[in-house]
Amino acid sequence: MNGWDGFLHGLSVATQPGVLIYCVLGVLLGTFVGVLPGIGAMATISLLLPITYYLSPEAALVMLAGVYYGSQYGGAVASILLRLPGTPQSAITTLDGYPLAQQGRAGVALFTSMISSFAGSMIGILVLILLSGALAQAAIAFGAAEYAAMMILGLVAASTVGAKHPAKSMAMVVLGLILGCVGTDVNSGEQRFIFGQTELMDGINLVALAMGLFGVAEVISNIRVAERTGVPPRVALRDFLPSRAELRRIPFPALRGASLGSFFGALPGTGSTISSFLAYATERRISRRSEQFGKGAIEGIAGPEAANNAAAISAFVPTLSLGIPGDPIMALMLGALVIHGVQPGPMMLDARPDMFWGLIASFGIGNLLLLVLNLPLIGIWVSMLRIPFRWLYPAILIFVSLGVYSVRGSSFDIFAVALIGVIGYALSLARFNPALLLLGFVLGPLIETNLRRALLIGRGDPMVFLQRPIAAAFILAAGALIVMAVVQVLRRRSTDAVETES
Amino acid sequence: MKRDIPDLVGGVLLAAIGLFVVFYTLAHYEIGSLRRMGPGFFPTVLGAALALLGGMVALPALARQGEAIHIAWKEGLAVLAAILIFAAGLDRLGLVLVSLTSVLIASLAAPDRRIGWRIVLALVVTALSVAVFSFGLKMTVPLWPGR
Repeated sequence: MNGWDGFLHGLSVATQPGVLIYCVLGVLLGTFVGVLPGIGAMATISLLLPITYYLSPEAALVMLAGVYYGSQYGGAVASILLRLPGTPQSAITTLDGYPLAQQGRAGVALFTSMISSFAGSMIGILVLILLSGALAQAAIAFGAAEYAAMMILGLVAASTVGAKHPAKSMAMVVLGLILGCVGTDVNSGEQRFIFGQTELMDGINLVALAMGLFGVAEVISNIRVAERTGVPPRVALRDFLPSRAELRRIPFPALRGASLGSFFGALPGTGSTISSFLAYATERRISRRSEQFGKGAIEGIAGPEAANNAAAISAFVPTLSLGIPGDPIMALMLGALVIHGVQPGPMMLDARPDMFWGLIASFGIGNLLLLVLNLPLIGIWVSMLRIPFRWLYPAILIFVSLGVYSVRGSSFDIFAVALIGVIGYALSLARFNPALLLLGFVLGPLIETNLRRALLIGRGDPMVFLQRPIAAAFILAAGALIVMAVVQVLRRRSTDAVETES
Repeated sequence: MKRDIPDLVGGVLLAAIGLFVVFYTLAHYEIGSLRRMGPGFFPTVLGAALALLGGMVALPALARQGEAIHIAWKEGLAVLAAILIFAAGLDRLGLVLVSLTSVLIASLAAPDRRIGWRIVLALVVTALSVAVFSFGLKMTVPLWPGR
């Protein structure tokens, strides 16, 4: 099935009432949690995971994806109005969005962010359609060595690119990999690290892990912070219309941002947060009005907002065509697919065309909905910012506990959430990134299986990874990233030393 | 004395976990060979890597000023207590009672000292969770004590 036929087929899947309703639900919920600082797409998707047991796999994935890209639209609202990023991906939007709001141009800033987000998503969808097919074709030739090498590259990239403390990031990935070992080893049947707890035989529950790390830990750290947020200004619909001069400043930054975002989103390991930062840096560097950046430059909103949305969509490229999640949210999506017995990978395009094309078509529908709905609904979203966090977090806690209980009716999992929540809070206090832990956790069993298989085929010779050109390229890239990270840390340390001496 | 306490403690703990994994694995699981890896191979390598990385986090932290951290004790305890009570009571007391109790306990962490909103919130959340999970999703969960 080629791209256009596939997309039409997908439209017929995505417009079924049973799927469409979850698309609407997903994007609305996504915008809602994106708008609210203190709860993001990560927490919401892990909260929804157990509920997806009750849905068809198509509806489940469409809804979760809607939450993800919907939150990218919503995230900008709090960034612009309160200088408080609703989501990490929109943190950079505070730099120029908030100054614009203070100048009374909040409406223009919101308009810019929505229209750029939409443009970014559309380009992301195009990239997803073009790349997935090609990548899935190429991936049919992939053996165990290529898969293992690619996943290792993904983990290395996720923990080094843009990381301030690569050792801390890598430690999180490795801890995640270790937690992924808990439970019955598929190759030998041996039960590892279960310490007599039969509940652990199937491994640590992904839902419990995600909810503890993102639901509970985020609630604890946000109770005090979220109470201090100010009252957002009122925004009327007619404030949205930008002047012609302002309008002309949107398309090119949005286009550049979208290209950057599509590229980095599709790479395993780098995602929408990094691409929004890169897009901002690019716009500031090439702009003729670089002195306006940080004081309310339209380009500083258009570029990053297009980039993070494009990346959110193109992140599905490796997830769907290779079965390798590029970022932690994709790891959760992959988890959702596996829950439904769908194995993502190069075979999925042929085996489950409904799923694949339906999801892509739903991206188009969902983003259109977001654009059409958000402009008139903006008043409602802004008023959401007035809901105090103390009304929300007890509800979140109850839903987290019930949600994880619903997976297999076991109170053990609720206790596990409490323990993981405390660990997650401690990790975030010490500035370790728990999202990387989750990425390692999901990829761990896949890496181990492929690693074992590759070495078995290669008769125990580790050179098997370097003799196959594609695997070798992945391994070399991973090695290069590690070397670059080490050099960077050493250089920073030596400049710090010079500064303290002088 | 300059010390980056969060990195120091975090690094040491991670290194300790790594070492524990290595020794526990060596004692309990078969390592095998590169060609035929046993169940112990992957964890041993990972444990060693974690021990190394933990050390790399902790050592530089000895000679550098860390950022101050503020632990939200009250919030953490309230949240933890709410979840633990929910976990312990759900099967015995049923969803309605345990949800009311947990919301009230969780709300203790909020800076607003008034009482009324807590009760309203507890009732609303309980009604919502019964509606969504028990009636909406038809989840098998006891609603009242002794079913």
